[in-house]
Amino acid sequence: MKNGNVLMMVEVAVFAALALLLDMVSQFIFSRIWPQGGSISIAMVPVFIMAFRWGIKGGLLSGLLLGLLQIVTGFASIAHPVQGFLDYPLAFTLVGIAGVFAGGIQNSFLKGNRKKSYILMTLGIFAGSFLRFLCHFASGIVFFGSYAPEGQPVALYSLVYNGTYMAISFILSAIIAVLLYSTAHRTLFKKALT
Amino acid sequence: MMDKMIFGRYVPAESPMHRLDPRAKLLMVFIFVFIIFLANNIATYVVIGAFTLLILNMSKIPAGFLIGGLRPVFYLILFTFFLHLFFTKEGDLLFKWNFIEVYENGLRQGIFISLRFAFLILITSILTLTTTPISITDGLETLFNPLKKWKLPVHELALMMSISLRFIPTLMEETDKIMKAQAARGTEFSTGPIKNRIKAIVPLLIPLFVSSFKRAEELATAMESRGYRGGEGRTKYRLLKWESKDTILLAAIMVLTVLLLLLRS
Repeated sequence: MKNGNVLMMVEVAVFAALALLLDMVSQFIFSRIWPQGGSISIAMVPVFIMAFRWGIKGGLLSGLLLGLLQIVTGFASIAHPVQGFLDYPLAFTLVGIAGVFAGGIQNSFLKGNRKKSYILMTLGIFAGSFLRFLCHFASGIVFFGSYAPEGQPVALYSLVYNGTYMAISFILSAIIAVLLYSTAHRTLFKKALT
Repeated sequence: MMDKMIFGRYVPAESPMHRLDPRAKLLMVFIFVFIIFLANNIATYVVIGAFTLLILNMSKIPAGFLIGGLRPVFYLILFTFFLHLFFTKEGDLLFKWNFIEVYENGLRQGIFISLRFAFLILITSILTLTTTPISITDGLETLFNPLKKWKLPVHELALMMSISLRFIPTLMEETDKIMKAQAARGTEFSTGPIKNRIKAIVPLLIPLFVSSFKRAEELATAMESRGYRGGEGRTKYRLLKWESKDTILLAAIMVLTVLLLLLRS
């Protein structure tokens, strides 16, 4: 194992734990706005931070870890084997895809082009959120498909149910990420960069 | 707020379910999640219900915790029940009121599907209610060990999971401290317009991230100075021990599978 790898592993582990915690904190903050508010969560923010800091590998790993943590701590609801796999390990791993923009984001920040950096960040967050949404959407079809009677518009149910909270989670994550990087980019990127 | 966030959903107790090997419980749940879809008539549902009740009884978990686990999916269960009740139009007409018609098959399907849902959630909850997250991680690591052949970093993932689990209580305390510190400065986290709530998150997150990076760096340095170099030849502090009762659990789930296959129509 190379030295940088141990640091990455530990950081990813700690941030996955943070993500799980933020999931609970956001339930506390948003659940009183509307009943399904519990699903809206800023849990993806630490995953995005790892993705922008360590690139795609860090992003995918922290996402996978977050998904697995939800299962082992018992916060996951699994009602179908395929749904369980899609909704937790796969959906959250794909959030880490945002890391493909890590190089571009860091470069633009170094060159002082913050605006471009924020645009790339939002693009990354969109890509991660969208892929996560696709997983939940597919799992919703599997889920409703096996629980709802035949002939029901299962794709529509899944789209409405997953689409609403994922859209809001995306917007929220993007706003918070930009706010965070505009105030504390020195901490959030690797030391060598700043 | 923090006292509601008990770490994981594990309930410490002395029960036969608690004492089973995590690998046995993981395998049982894994098989159960698949075979429950075999149930399709009264006999099969009775058998699988009896199995679920037996497992619940063996776990000695207070009913309150089990019901608490069902709460987040309660509305989904109700929703699927009513979907079947109103939209399955087969069998004899049982009930008619204005445009609402309830047919025999709809009622039966509604009950079956909601039961299947409840049994699944109960059995998967039993795993996390009777096993600590760290033993589940150990169990998963051993079960997935063969995947190392395909270069899957099973050991590294398990180690990272253990680190995460170890840090959750620490970070929780930290979050609580920072939230209180910011609240003392006048930040409102759970009241006020949504815009202010989002803004309030930033001064919570930044100190939290700064201290997390510091903790991670310290841990990485400690690991390196103690010569951590990956999974090869690493010994374990917690050892899993497979006993005859674990084999009995697996035998029971096998018997259940055979029964379901014989009884299903």
